Amino acid sequence: MTTHFVSQEPFDPHSVEKLTPEQERLYLSSQWRLMWLKLKRHRLAVGSSIVLVVIYLFAFFCEFLSPYNLHTRNTDFIYAPPQRVHLFHDGGFIGPFVYGHTYRLNMENLKREYSPDRSDIQKIRFFCRGDAYDFWGLVETDVHLFCPAANGHLFLLGTDRLGRDMYSRILHGAKISLTIGLVGIVLSFILGIVIGGIAGYYGGFVDNAIQRLIEILRSFPELPLWMALSATLPVTWSPILVFFGITLILALLDWTGLARAVRSKLLSLREEDYCTAAQLMGAKPGRIIGRHLLPGFMSHLIASASLSIPGMILGETALSFLGLGLRSPITSWGVLLNEAQNINVVALYPWLMLPVVPVIVVILAFNFLGDGLRDAADPYK
Amino acid sequence: MRERPGILRGRIAAAVAALLISQAVPASPPAEPPLLAQAVESGTLPPMSDRLPQVPLVMDASMNNLNPGRYGGKMRMLMGKEKDIRRMVVFGYSRLVGFTADLELAADILHSFEIREGREFVFRLRKGHRWSDGHPFTSDDFRFYWEDVVNNEELFPFGPPKSLRVDGDLPVVEFPDDWTVVYRWSRPNPHFLVELASPRPLFIYMPRHYLESFHPRYADREALDEQARSRGSRNWSGYFLKKARQYKLTNPDLPSLQPWINTTRPPAERYLFRRNPYFHRADENGLQLPYIDEVQINIVSSSLIPAKTGAGESDLQGHYLRLDNFTFLKEGEKRNGYDVLLWKALNGAHKALYPNFNSRDGQWRSLVRDVRFRRALSLAVNRHEINQVIYYGLANESGNTVLPSCPLYDDRMQAWSRFDLEEANALLDALGLDVRNQRGIRLMPDGRPLEIIVHTAGESTEETDILELVHDSWLKAGIKVYTKPSQREVFRDRIFSGETMMSVWSGLENGMPTPEISPGELAPTRQDQYHWPRWGQYHETGGKAGEEPDIESARELLGLYREWSGTTDPVRRKEIWQRMLEIYCDEVYNIGIVNAVPQPIVVSSRLRNVPKEGLYAWFPTSYFGIYHPDTFWFDE
Repeated sequence: MTTHFVSQEPFDPHSVEKLTPEQERLYLSSQWRLMWLKLKRHRLAVGSSIVLVVIYLFAFFCEFLSPYNLHTRNTDFIYAPPQRVHLFHDGGFIGPFVYGHTYRLNMENLKREYSPDRSDIQKIRFFCRGDAYDFWGLVETDVHLFCPAANGHLFLLGTDRLGRDMYSRILHGAKISLTIGLVGIVLSFILGIVIGGIAGYYGGFVDNAIQRLIEILRSFPELPLWMALSATLPVTWSPILVFFGITLILALLDWTGLARAVRSKLLSLREEDYCTAAQLMGAKPGRIIGRHLLPGFMSHLIASASLSIPGMILGETALSFLGLGLRSPITSWGVLLNEAQNINVVALYPWLMLPVVPVIVVILAFNFLGDGLRDAADPYK
Repeated sequence: MRERPGILRGRIAAAVAALLISQAVPASPPAEPPLLAQAVESGTLPPMSDRLPQVPLVMDASMNNLNPGRYGGKMRMLMGKEKDIRRMVVFGYSRLVGFTADLELAADILHSFEIREGREFVFRLRKGHRWSDGHPFTSDDFRFYWEDVVNNEELFPFGPPKSLRVDGDLPVVEFPDDWTVVYRWSRPNPHFLVELASPRPLFIYMPRHYLESFHPRYADREALDEQARSRGSRNWSGYFLKKARQYKLTNPDLPSLQPWINTTRPPAERYLFRRNPYFHRADENGLQLPYIDEVQINIVSSSLIPAKTGAGESDLQGHYLRLDNFTFLKEGEKRNGYDVLLWKALNGAHKALYPNFNSRDGQWRSLVRDVRFRRALSLAVNRHEINQVIYYGLANESGNTVLPSCPLYDDRMQAWSRFDLEEANALLDALGLDVRNQRGIRLMPDGRPLEIIVHTAGESTEETDILELVHDSWLKAGIKVYTKPSQREVFRDRIFSGETMMSVWSGLENGMPTPEISPGELAPTRQDQYHWPRWGQYHETGGKAGEEPDIESARELLGLYREWSGTTDPVRRKEIWQRMLEIYCDEVYNIGIVNAVPQPIVVSSRLRNVPKEGLYAWFPTSYFGIYHPDTFWFDE
């Protein structure tokens, strides 16, 4: 007699591949969480995002972190080279200090010559009072993280032709250069989603018209168009208006790529059953696009947006470098580089080209981060 | 006497007139320039003695501390624009009469000249003087210009240019023989000789033998028109003028009297100028000048010129170099075999701010016409700081006036060029500009903040740096400055049309005038006086365009200028100059910053006879012109 074994246990459909609790959490987690998990494994992207956070913090607190204000001129120290920070003097520990500069105008070749004066020890002060500034319009204060010794000077990255501290200027420039990318991308994001959404959802004539407009916009060479638009900004505008003008110009020319991505995604998604279902239930186009379609590819949008931020930053830098973008007294990295474009700087004052370094770092970081985001954007792959 | 091996020394038997003319009678024929030797040998070119005029202009040690040199070499220069090749006429400085290094007028192309009562000019040409193609240069070339060109209605619809007129009247021109020309006006013409000696001279002669074939009086009009149309001109006159450009040098076929002649047809990026085999100057040894065989001009972007000069790619360079390039240039001195000299700029102000009296903005117009306002602007400029920061403290802090070394200089001219914010603020308050907005900017009577947009030609960061420094000190006087760069042509048009409030440009051209030189720069006489373009235009066009000056002091200046033109009395002329300078400085029509700024000049270390110190200016020195580049030569 054969006994037929029947398990008394209740039927468990998952018995073949038993999920550990971790696996279960992974399988059941939301798309955003999956993206995060995938992004975390992209080392370069993680590193880049840390760098970016630090740089943005620097930009946010630039007045506090820099020893001088943007326009503080030290006309006694024109074209002073960067000073080295020392800790020890003659074998004894002193703490962070710099040697004072002795200045001599070499009448032979009219070179401003600086040499460290080893008898003049200038200890760097911390949490000290220096140039007064207005912190984001909230508090007026004069506290800096560090400043030069009393009656001393501190030029970590040298000074320019009017004796302005390059380190402070680069920090202040960061504020402009970095926000222009973010503000610009927000604007172009809105433009891209609205226009692309309309084109994709309605299709037909509307789509056609928008596509042709995009083609026309894209067929112009980018740089001359920027230049033409920025030349129209009135000179009497206050620097802050010019700043927004430039941002707007960058955004106005940048939304086209995003709009196309939105449109093509929408074209395919609107044929999906859940979309038809929503339509049959009487949802309005705005709700269908916003509630049902956009979330379906939001991750994509974010990834592609983060990839176009460096484009914006470079755009501003290029415009300002050509003297068409921001103008002094507003100072961005592009403005600083614009001032550095001559043979004297290359041959004699190379430290004035330092703003290139943060530009490169930020652009690379944004690109790596965008790369990671793009990989992570489709976590089911 | 200095002697050099390899050079046959001629002996000078002198017949030196007051005008530094001497006669060279070489004992044996001097050596031909190697470049021409073959042509002379084969007989295609006559020997040097036949190529020089009977009495050449001898450039000897008494003139510029010159050392006699040797032939050969190619001098390289850099220019930023193609049309800069016209500088070769400026540098060549072959003029009927020209300024000497002491800024006196002396005969050059002319053998001699005579002035009677300041209104009759008798010019005697050098016998045997020839155009660069070997054709004799005679009074016929003057007659051609006078009769067939400048008095031809098709070529010059408005007749001869202003510089040939005295109060609109033309001279009587006579040609008694082949070597004499006489210009006679009814009243004195003090501008005539100076025009002939200018960097852009008045050419009152043209190579008749060459240009005849383009003129309908000597050729068939139909055929000429036909030819002109096929070359892109509307009719023969346009074509003629194109062929006859003696200043612009665009026609390599045009015979010339300059030391070097263009051999390259534009457009090109490299222009080669070859020696004029019939040039009329010789050195004390009887060698025909120029010493240097060829001048090569390379056209490169102007921002690259300091770099290329520093790399040793130019043998003689002043243009496009600025004081702040000095350190860089000095670095390459040894390595690339050149010397950097510091000459002085001659402008009355290196940079000056020009408020526009003819601005379309009525409020602004009435403000700048108030002398207190202009004085306050001048007092609020910290010239010392600008000098230290931008010019290493080497410039002279001054308003726009003559240089301190000029005999006409007076310390009182600087009354308004000190730095005195207190008085500036007091003057502005007294003007009724005492209301300020929350940013501390004064308000104009109509309530607008006092924001001045300063236009620049956008050619250098020097101007923006100055303006940045001016911005800071003016802000303390409650005035806000914005800088607007544009292109030079646009810049000029905007000023002329009154669109601008203020502009930056260089100051008075000649900071070392003598009472014999016209004081026209001080009075509203020219449109390119950027503080009163429309008043200058009014004078220039004889009242057909522009506006009549409507402030008393400007009218007085104009009256003084007219009086100067009518008098030949040196004492009175000096008085007029002094009075005009006094008004000009006291009224502060424009705001000079600094003057006597050193100008770096890069000279190849093989190049000789370039003075160690010199004046680098357009007028009256014609840049290198009065130092005679034809006497420069290359040592081993």
